[in-house]
Amino acid sequence: MGTIITVTSGKGGVGKSTTTANLAVGLANLGKKVVAIDFDIGLRNLDMILGLENRIVYDVVDVMEERCNLSQALINDKKAKNLYFLPASQTKDKDILEREKVKKLLLSLKEEFDIVLLDSPAGIESGFEHSIFLADRALIVSTPDVSSVRDADRVIGIIDAKSEKAKEGKEVEKHVIINRIKPEMVEAGNMLSTEDVLSILALPLIGVIPDDEDIIGSTNMGDPIINREKSISAESYRRISRRVLGEDIEFLDLKVKKGFFKRLFS
Amino acid sequence: MSFLSSIFGKKKSSASVAKDRLTIMLAHERVNCKLPYLDDLRNDLIDVIKKYTSVEDVKITSQNNQNLDMLEVEIILGKK
Repeated sequence: MGTIITVTSGKGGVGKSTTTANLAVGLANLGKKVVAIDFDIGLRNLDMILGLENRIVYDVVDVMEERCNLSQALINDKKAKNLYFLPASQTKDKDILEREKVKKLLLSLKEEFDIVLLDSPAGIESGFEHSIFLADRALIVSTPDVSSVRDADRVIGIIDAKSEKAKEGKEVEKHVIINRIKPEMVEAGNMLSTEDVLSILALPLIGVIPDDEDIIGSTNMGDPIINREKSISAESYRRISRRVLGEDIEFLDLKVKKGFFKRLFS
Repeated sequence: MSFLSSIFGKKKSSASVAKDRLTIMLAHERVNCKLPYLDDLRNDLIDVIKKYTSVEDVKITSQNNQNLDMLEVEIILGKK
């Protein structure tokens, strides 16, 4: 029986899909059989980040409506052979998902895969609810800015209220991923630090990803950054993947290396 | 904060202002965030209290400060 992990954030544009793509590849490279599902109905994006947009024939709604088999809709990643991808539907009706059908699909995927990674849509509407109600775990992505942290906090408050697990008296395991941190700005006191965000959200940290312009390039190419050997953000994603599997891995040192003069005057 | 600015007393960094604002804001929002089981709990409490005495109303409010979640229960027994 696999684990359903939902990547969510509340606010849009904080890097949910990028995180989902990279962790999906990372977990698959660690030998897990992974399926990544784009739950952002109407605003499909994970396909382009993974570079699989040209291979789409069927989508998640086709599967739920039984217009095709699951195996027809699943797309195998180009590099990570353990990774499969199920695209979102581009229908304009974002409320097309039905709870029972979502449940049936997710439970059958859970049978077949070690990890079912769900890329939730932004917001707290029905699409978000569908992506969270069967989750065993949630990874909450936040950037260190006021609106993102505030929305993350709201989402954290809602997760348990919307989850089946909570109804059974269990808790959805929740972790925070802090994305796009700029160590020099934190150092200068112009950006919330990792510690600040954690003390506000009061949840355990599973990873910090530094702000990295190379991610834009890798999205342009449709090749997740985690595939690059020498990249600090790739290394962050690789470490998060291991932590997701329960390994105790040291956090990357993202502190600004101080020169002699700076150290003298601080 | 650098050596010079610590002497001349620079104003608070924007990050610490952000942290303070968020902390206050969220403390407020979390209280308003309704707990899903609150109504059931309230009804159960009324049933239990009724075994012992008459009860007019039970008010439950959630409090949240830093690391502690609290529920404040106010039992109104009514006039004598």
